[in-house]
Amino acid sequence: MGRSYHTIAFDAQKCNGCQECEKACAQAKAGVTDLVHSRIKVSPGRKEGEWGLALCRQCAQPLCVMNCPGGALSKDPVSGVVSWDESRCVGCKLCTLACAYAGITFNQATGQVMKCDFCGGDPACVKSCERGALQHLTGSDIYNEWGDLEDLFVPGISACLGCNSELLVRHTLRRVGPNTVVATPPGCIAGVGAVGVNGLTATKTPVFHPLLTNTASMLAGARRYYNRIGRDVTMLAFAGDGGAADVGFQSLSGAAERGEQIIFICVDNEGYMNTGVQRSSTTPYGAWTSTTPVGSVLRGKTRDAKPLPIIMLMHNCEYVATASTAYMEDYYQKLEKAILAAKKGMAYVHVFSPCPTGWRLPPARLIEAGRKAVQCNLMPLWEYESATGDMRFTHPVDNPLPVTDYLSMIGKYRHLSAEQTQHIQEHADRQVDLLRKFMQQRMDLAV
Amino acid sequence: MPKTIVCDGNEAAAWGVSRAKPDMVAVYPITPQSSLAEYVSQFVADGIIDADLMDVEGEHSVLSVLQGACLAGARTFTATCGQGLAFMFEPYFRTPPLRLPIVMSIVTRDGITPQCVWGGQQDAMTVREVGWIQMYCETVQEVLDTVILAYRVAEHRDVMLPVNVCHDGNYLSYGVEKVELPDQEDVDRFMGEKNTNWHVALDPERPMGVDPLTGGATGNGPALFVRYRKGSCKAMQNALQVICDVHREWGEQFGRHYAPLVEEYRLDGADFALVTIGSMTGAAKDAVDAAREQGVKVGLIKIKTFRPFPLEAMIQALSKVKAVGVVDRSVSFGWNSGPVYQETLSALYHLKERIPAVSFIGGLAGADITETHLQRVIDVTASLLQGHMPAQPIWLNEND
Repeated sequence: MGRSYHTIAFDAQKCNGCQECEKACAQAKAGVTDLVHSRIKVSPGRKEGEWGLALCRQCAQPLCVMNCPGGALSKDPVSGVVSWDESRCVGCKLCTLACAYAGITFNQATGQVMKCDFCGGDPACVKSCERGALQHLTGSDIYNEWGDLEDLFVPGISACLGCNSELLVRHTLRRVGPNTVVATPPGCIAGVGAVGVNGLTATKTPVFHPLLTNTASMLAGARRYYNRIGRDVTMLAFAGDGGAADVGFQSLSGAAERGEQIIFICVDNEGYMNTGVQRSSTTPYGAWTSTTPVGSVLRGKTRDAKPLPIIMLMHNCEYVATASTAYMEDYYQKLEKAILAAKKGMAYVHVFSPCPTGWRLPPARLIEAGRKAVQCNLMPLWEYESATGDMRFTHPVDNPLPVTDYLSMIGKYRHLSAEQTQHIQEHADRQVDLLRKFMQQRMDLAV
Repeated sequence: MPKTIVCDGNEAAAWGVSRAKPDMVAVYPITPQSSLAEYVSQFVADGIIDADLMDVEGEHSVLSVLQGACLAGARTFTATCGQGLAFMFEPYFRTPPLRLPIVMSIVTRDGITPQCVWGGQQDAMTVREVGWIQMYCETVQEVLDTVILAYRVAEHRDVMLPVNVCHDGNYLSYGVEKVELPDQEDVDRFMGEKNTNWHVALDPERPMGVDPLTGGATGNGPALFVRYRKGSCKAMQNALQVICDVHREWGEQFGRHYAPLVEEYRLDGADFALVTIGSMTGAAKDAVDAAREQGVKVGLIKIKTFRPFPLEAMIQALSKVKAVGVVDRSVSFGWNSGPVYQETLSALYHLKERIPAVSFIGGLAGADITETHLQRVIDVTASLLQGHMPAQPIWLNEND
């Protein structure tokens, strides 16, 4: 499998043409602020107020390299950076003609071509962009580190269009590997055929349907026996919020208290989506479901969601984290920790998983909704490690967006009154405040 | 040399467990099973049982951890009763069709409501149709021996089903007897190889999808589902022979012979018989002996194996008499009689001649079934021969 590399992404909507990136580049590369030395160029777009970016893409098959007669340009197979060797350059400028992105340009001041070299992995331009129009994306590590691992989930899963659960399962199984027993209680993941239908299975590891109620217990029994016979077999659960927070809670809580060595992933889509969108205890306040309907008397759910990740935190699991399918790199880092933690005890990962069908959300906007939920502090991303007592936000949001930015995207909230919206805003604020207090408390204890 | 010890039925069960060498025992206390859970736990603590002790948060998880362990390859044991069994019902229901050879004692207890903590067979009888093999014990020694035997039945390749060893709460759980504790080496020889998950496993070395969605109206769903059900029913029928073989082997090796399915007691020359199950049988045999001395031609049919129902053995026993009185320690609400009575009626249908039968219900919620009660059973049943048919059922403790 090929490699994927880090990149600098440009969000034209956030750019105001301030050229701070150009100044930072010139400073970093030539030690001066003269923009002639900048290897990144911002220029007016087609319409008034629009800006475009000229910057080396570090192409996978770089035409500049192919067209260089002197062999001065080459692509580093590890970092992916296309580098220029002054000693071999014949000054023909063919490379500037070959590049469709104006990523390599002629510098009038030096009389030589120049191009972005990624600043050794820490680009100055990105750091200078206060508006966030430039982003250094490192997500490609997922592809490079895990891309060659076997995909243990077969293609052709019958998930709803746009569902993130398949994404989550596929990636998780890749990383966790074949020496694993997978439990998927009744719910969406089992429903899409993970365990199978009439003799056919979708998962290449051992996989089974626990009851909705006993996922953690069944895995605990299997793990204990493998410990007894000296085999280190990973126990992995993908349970919905019903199988974790509602009817599955007793066995989960018991297993956590006993320190059973399980990776328990709760895929929280905020309700019983597989059975037709009924409310669960993690359905948020105000949300429409088929059992918290909206009519002239009732206006959606009247209680806030049960904060299961915090409840699991209080069980003192080896590892507790929240994650989101909209932040897969964050999830991968947490999965690494969960795998290690589950050698000693329970690793609990609560994944926010927007549901196109049950949330009345267009499939194309699922990832966007997941991001917004984090940016509004409705689904804060954090982790706790028992070994160190360390608890922290993994994606701190200091200036959260108003919750309306998120709520307005999602059909299950379309009936909300101003009072209900205010309730949700206050709940989000209180929730993050509570997490901060936990983090503060733990730091105090550490002192 | 086998040791002789004096213990109650719960401790005897725990000694039986120790000799069967399970890999995992799961415990959660409930009266009158609690001391059994305690004995097993203490035996693990003392190294008498070399097993993982799963001290979990409820009966539902008790059976669930054992299912997980069994699927990974463990030999397992637990015990429960009454409300514990009710709470366990969800995984309990699933154990037989998963074909997991788990052994579980039911220290039988009556059902609430009214709230009660005493013996009765309402719990075990209520779950008789779930697919577990059920064997009911008469004595403390039989409890110990049957727990060991049960693994041979459960793990037999032609069976692969879970087994309930039922012993009566209060009467057997706390009743003390002198019992013989067989030597470990002898039991090891009797037990043979462990056989738990060749057919269904959660093992990365043999990856499989365990219990995928099966059934529906299309494709191979209907036929596949029928295949599973037929398999379970067939295994139950196979168990009848296996239970007989294992009991015979046990008797030959240890010198204690139990009627594996149905015991015929003094049926030779009997005009009529009592049908009993469990610990009441001791008092009933005394009552039969006393009546015989008075010249009353009465015998007794004791059911040991209730599931699978020992139809042929019952037909054989029932065909020797002209009337039966069936004593139940639980209630069949839908029939206004006892469940053992109803099952006996089903067996009677197979006789060439129709004979009368009467239902007695006694010993509910810890009440005694004494020789006096059983004398009444004998008298009433004898009157059937003269053409009487009393109003049914007859509640033995109604006026105690």
